[in-house]
Amino acid sequence: MAMFSQNPLLNGASYSFSEAPKFNAPEGAREHRFDPYTDNGGSTLAIAGADFTIMAGDTRLTSGYSINSRFHPKVFKIGGTTSDQSDATLVLSVVGFAADGEALKERLDAICKMYRYRHGKPMSVKACAQRLSTILYQKRFFPYYAYAILGGLDEEGKGAVYSYDPVGSYEREQCRAGGAAASLIMPFLDNQVNFKNQFIPGSGEGHALQERERHPLSRQEVETLVKDAFDGAVERHIEVGDGLQMMIITKEGIEEVVLPLKRD
Amino acid sequence: MADRYSFSLTTFSPSGKLVQIEYALNAVNQGVTALGIKATNGIVLATEKKSSSPLADPSSLSKISLITPNIGMVYSGMGPDYRVLVDRARKVSHTGYKRIYNEYPPTRILVQDVARVMQEATQSGGVRPYGVSLLIAGWDEGILPEEEIEAKEGEEGKKLSGKTGGILKGGPMLYQVDPSGSYFPWKATAIGKSATTAKTFLEKRYTEGLELEDAVHIALLTLKETIEGEMNGETIEIGIVGPPAHHLLGVEGVEGAVGPRFRKLTPQEIEDYLTNL
Amino acid sequence: MSSPFSINGGACVAMVGKDCVAIACDLRLGLQALTVSNNFPKIFQYGDNVFLGLTGLATDVATVSDLFRYKVNMYRLREERQIAPRTFSNLVSSSLYERRFGPWFVSPVVAGLDPKTGQPFICGFDSIGCIDFAKDFIVSGTATEQLFGMCESLWEPDLGPDQLFETISQSLLNAVDRDALSGWGAHVYIIEKDKVTKRLLKGRQD
Repeated sequence: MAMFSQNPLLNGASYSFSEAPKFNAPEGAREHRFDPYTDNGGSTLAIAGADFTIMAGDTRLTSGYSINSRFHPKVFKIGGTTSDQSDATLVLSVVGFAADGEALKERLDAICKMYRYRHGKPMSVKACAQRLSTILYQKRFFPYYAYAILGGLDEEGKGAVYSYDPVGSYEREQCRAGGAAASLIMPFLDNQVNFKNQFIPGSGEGHALQERERHPLSRQEVETLVKDAFDGAVERHIEVGDGLQMMIITKEGIEEVVLPLKRD
Repeated sequence: MADRYSFSLTTFSPSGKLVQIEYALNAVNQGVTALGIKATNGIVLATEKKSSSPLADPSSLSKISLITPNIGMVYSGMGPDYRVLVDRARKVSHTGYKRIYNEYPPTRILVQDVARVMQEATQSGGVRPYGVSLLIAGWDEGILPEEEIEAKEGEEGKKLSGKTGGILKGGPMLYQVDPSGSYFPWKATAIGKSATTAKTFLEKRYTEGLELEDAVHIALLTLKETIEGEMNGETIEIGIVGPPAHHLLGVEGVEGAVGPRFRKLTPQEIEDYLTNL
Repeated sequence: MSSPFSINGGACVAMVGKDCVAIACDLRLGLQALTVSNNFPKIFQYGDNVFLGLTGLATDVATVSDLFRYKVNMYRLREERQIAPRTFSNLVSSSLYERRFGPWFVSPVVAGLDPKTGQPFICGFDSIGCIDFAKDFIVSGTATEQLFGMCESLWEPDLGPDQLFETISQSLLNAVDRDALSGWGAHVYIIEKDKVTKRLLKGRQD
C-alpha cells in the first residue's frame, strides 16, 4: 500500500535500510540493502567579481515531493575564530544530501579553525580549496554526496570561486551553479556573466563575428543576476524556493542577506 | 451468407438512368413540403407537421433536428430514413471532425459527409437509396479577419453585409441534399410535394440583403401558400440559425463559451410570428 | 541515455511576442554521443502561419512530420482553406493520442498566428498528445532544463519581432551549449502577420 503513496517518505525511509521487498521474491528470501543517500534538492550559485564574491543558495530542504524545511541554509561562513563566524573570510555552499553537506561543512570549518589557531592567520582560499578537495577524495569510495562550492578573495583581492564534484575534482571558475536547478541556471550564467554567444554587431559574418569582450560585473549587477537566476529556477523547479540566502564576500568582511522566494 | 451474394439494388437502366434513385425522388416529391431561406444574419427552416390522425400528439413529433450547435436540418420524404440520417450526421460530425479537430465541422463539410452516406446507399450491396431530401442550414465561423472580408467585398462591389457564408468568410449556409448524394447551396429553396409552387413564390418574395426576421416572415407566407391543414404553433415547425442563443447554454460565466446558433422556435414563438403575419 | 527521446538529441523552443511569434530549433542529429549530421532541421511549416517543431527520435520526427504533411494537405483539399494553428494543434493532439499505447517518441511544439484575430498562438505536447497551452514559451528536446532556465530569465511580455529574435536565439544557443546532445547551429523563424523571417544561426560547432 505504502509503495503507491505519493509521499516518498511513506515508501520507506529512503536514506537508510530500505524495506525488503515482500512480493516477487521466493519464499523466505529477503533482500537487504543499505541505502544511505537522499537527494535533498535545492540549488546554489556563486559568482566572482573583481573585488568580491557572491555565494547564494535557496533555503528549501526537500525529500521527494515533501518540503521538510523552508529555512535550511546551504551557504556557510568557514574558518572564523568565534562561534558566530564574524571574522570568517571564506564561504562554503553545499547541495545534494543535506546531512553530508552539514558534515562536510563541519569538517572543513574545524580544519580551517585549526589552521588559523596554529598559523595565526586565516587560510587562503587557494589553500582551503586544495584541502577541501583532499577531504572529499579521502572518501572516494563512500563519498560525501554533496556538490560543494568554495568562495572567497584570492591573494590579489580578486573574487575567487572553486567548484567541486562529490569526490574532490575541482576547478577555479568565474561562476558556477550547483544542485537541482544547476542545468537551468548555468546557461544563463554563461550568457550573462561570460557573455557567451554575444558578439559585436557588424563585426563579421558567421564565425568571423567578434566576441563581446568580457568585463567584470559590478556588485549591483551580480546581485540582480543572482536574484533573476533564482526567480527563474523557482518558477520551473519544485525543489527550489522559500528563501534566497546570499553571502557577499569583500575585503571588509562577509555580508549576509536573506530574501524571500516563492513558497509554492 | 447474405453478405457474400449481395448486389446493389440500384443498377443502371439501358438508357443510363438509375431508376431506384428516381423512385426515391418520387418518395421525396410525395413528402410534406419543407423550405429554407438564407438571410444575411441567419437562416430559417420551416415545414408543416402533418399527423395522419387527429388523435396523434403533435408535440411529440419533431421534423427539424439539431446536428451540431450551429447546424440543423429538415427533410421531405420518408421519416424513418431521415432519422437514420440524423443519427449518422450527428455521429460523423463527432467521429469525423470534432474528435479530431476539437471543433464542429463547417456546414459544407457536414453536408459532404451526409451526402457521402447517401451516395454510398446508391452503390452498396443489399441496400436501397434513402427516400429523403434534406435541407441543411448552418453557420460557419470562418477564418478570415473581419477587415479582409470587407476589403474583398469592396473589390467585388457586392453586398454591404458583413458575411455571405462559407468556410473562409463565415456566416450562414443553406444546402439541399438529394437521395443520389448530390448537394446544392441555395439562397432559398423548397423540397417536397409543393416544392415547385413554393419555389415560384420564393423567387417572387426573395430579395438580397434579407434580414432573419424578414426571412421568417417570408417562410410563413410561403408555407401558407402550400399548407394543407390549419396553421398554428402546433402544426408548423420552424428552426432558425441566428445569433448565439446564450440562454440555451445551460451554464453561465464560462469564459469563451458561446451559445448554439441553431435553435427551434417554440410553438408560442411561432404563434407570435403568425399573429403578426 | 537509452530513452528513445534522447538517442538522437535536439532542442526546440517557441515564444510569444507582441503580434508575433518565434520558433527555433537546433540542427544536430546524433547517435548517442556520435554526431551524424549538422543539418537536421526540426521545424516544419504547415500553412502560411503554422509551424511545427518536433524533437525526439529522429525516425519518428521524419515520419510524424510527413504524416502531418499528408493530413494537412487532405484538410486543405477538403475544406478549401488553410488550417489554423489551434485547429492544427488539436489535430496533432488527436493524432498522437491514437497511438496511446505505442506512442511516437516525439515532443511537438506548435507556433503560429490565428488567421482571424492575428493573435499569437503557441503550444506544446507530450508524446501522447496532452496539450500545454502556454502564454509565454514552450520548450522541448534534450535541452529542456537549460531552455527553461534561459527562457524563464530572458523572456518578457510584448517583445517586438527584433527583440523576440534576439531573445529566442540567445535562449536556444546558450541552452544547447550546455547540452551535449544538442547544438551545431540553429534555425529561427519569426512569424509576423504578413511576413515570416527564417534565419540560420551558426552557433558553436562542437
